[in-house]
Amino acid sequence: MEALMKILSPDFLLRNSVYTSVLVGFACPLVGVFLVMRRLVFMGVALPQISSTGVAVALSVPMWIGLKSAGHSAGSEHTLAFAGSTIFSLAAILVLAFLERRGRGQPEGRLGTAYVVAASLSILLLSKNPYGEIGWLDMLKGEVITISNFDLILTAATLTLVLATLGLFHKELLLVSFDRPMAITLRKNVVFWDVLLYLLIGLTVSMAVLSVGPLIAFGFLLIPALTAHPFARNMRQFTIMASLCGGVMAFVGFWVAYSIDLPVGPTDVVLLGMLYTAAWVIHALLPAELR
Amino acid sequence: MDNAILIFDNLSIGYNGQPVLSGISLSIARDSFTAILGANGSGKSTLLKTLLGLIPPLGGGIEAASPNGVPLVFGYVPQAVQFDPVYLLTGFDVVLMGTYGRVRPGRFVPSGERAFARECLAAAGAGELAHRRFAELSGGEKQRVLIARALATRPDILVLDEPTAGVDAEAAHNVLEFIAGVREERHVTVMLVTHDFAAVRHHARQVIWLHRGKVLCGSPEELLTSEHIAEIFEIGIG
Repeated sequence: MEALMKILSPDFLLRNSVYTSVLVGFACPLVGVFLVMRRLVFMGVALPQISSTGVAVALSVPMWIGLKSAGHSAGSEHTLAFAGSTIFSLAAILVLAFLERRGRGQPEGRLGTAYVVAASLSILLLSKNPYGEIGWLDMLKGEVITISNFDLILTAATLTLVLATLGLFHKELLLVSFDRPMAITLRKNVVFWDVLLYLLIGLTVSMAVLSVGPLIAFGFLLIPALTAHPFARNMRQFTIMASLCGGVMAFVGFWVAYSIDLPVGPTDVVLLGMLYTAAWVIHALLPAELR
Repeated sequence: MDNAILIFDNLSIGYNGQPVLSGISLSIARDSFTAILGANGSGKSTLLKTLLGLIPPLGGGIEAASPNGVPLVFGYVPQAVQFDPVYLLTGFDVVLMGTYGRVRPGRFVPSGERAFARECLAAAGAGELAHRRFAELSGGEKQRVLIARALATRPDILVLDEPTAGVDAEAAHNVLEFIAGVREERHVTVMLVTHDFAAVRHHARQVIWLHRGKVLCGSPEELLTSEHIAEIFEIGIG
């Protein structure tokens, strides 16, 4: 309880990390719901990793062109990383979704290869970048420690934008996902709505990766949505339960990690995994009329 | 035809530049009941997709005759099996989608449209399915919800893709009777893809029969004679 009181204190040194984790925990499942419904779970695994490769590439560019990043401020480094993360996320999701829609080849193989190559590439790039080792490797491993006020505000603003857009255009995004032919007969611009959804997913993933790392981003994108799905009766319940599950578990994860001195990212993801398993067992034990 | 709602003008349909059917020239009368017959792979689905704008025609065109210049509204009833059960939608949620064509993006569905969606559910005899999960409904129940959704679009033309597939005989009879009733009461043009000859004889006023790249068009009395059927199946065997 002492650890909990410390975390809740406004003077807590790592309060920005707590706020960011919880924000990501609430927001990621909202786009994760669409990944689950569109059967794009593997994309949810690959995207955060590809996004983190974007961070690694962006941080390596100054070194490649002969600029020493020692003189760069943390703000400019963060902007560079944000640009890299966003560009890679959006490019990857648009290309992968296009290939998925064409229906050729093996999507799982494509996404698996993208995941493992992206993971290896980002570690290789950052290990060869003397400035990249300061903080960024920790971030890629899921250590949520040094989050500045600027990072927190940027995360909150981006996730608010995503949330507002999802809420505003939920019916169009749902229609295009559920029944594309129907949307076309109703003269909806399905390509526009698809691209908007992919932009929202890409933006959330890049922001989450930049704030808390690919491990937590992946965990919060998919596990809360998969946990909530069997218990929800309609789309509203599904979305709210997934988001609450993510937000609450992000806080609990931080509390547990802080209490027994564990890295936050892996702790969050393991706790989410335990919750998912428990939910699966509980659902299996429920009487048929309550399922 | 003076009262034509759709005119197929030398239409060629297919995928990736490869025609499935070519030179289709026929018209569909307003408020008519047209059945589309044909074996699997004959081009029924391709014709439907082209009509609905899901795929572009390879050549020719479809002229839609709208009385007031407003684009025609298609109420599309797809096969119920094609929907992914992962979507946690109730019967009402599905029917409400039919009203989305009249609601601007970013706006909530107004209460009047919600009431109309409930009316459509009730008209389709599916009022009690409003709060049940769509994925858990039987084939016949799903079909009723999808027909209600198509009605909620306020369609000029109701396009149904094998609405009785996977449905037991009694439910199939009820679905077809309901569709015929809707046509009469609401003055909606019906285009129905089916394999059910008996239903075609009973309800349809026009038959489009797709067979080995040929398009035969006529009344059930003209096309569904035993001689004609035997002739077509002889072509099939030969």
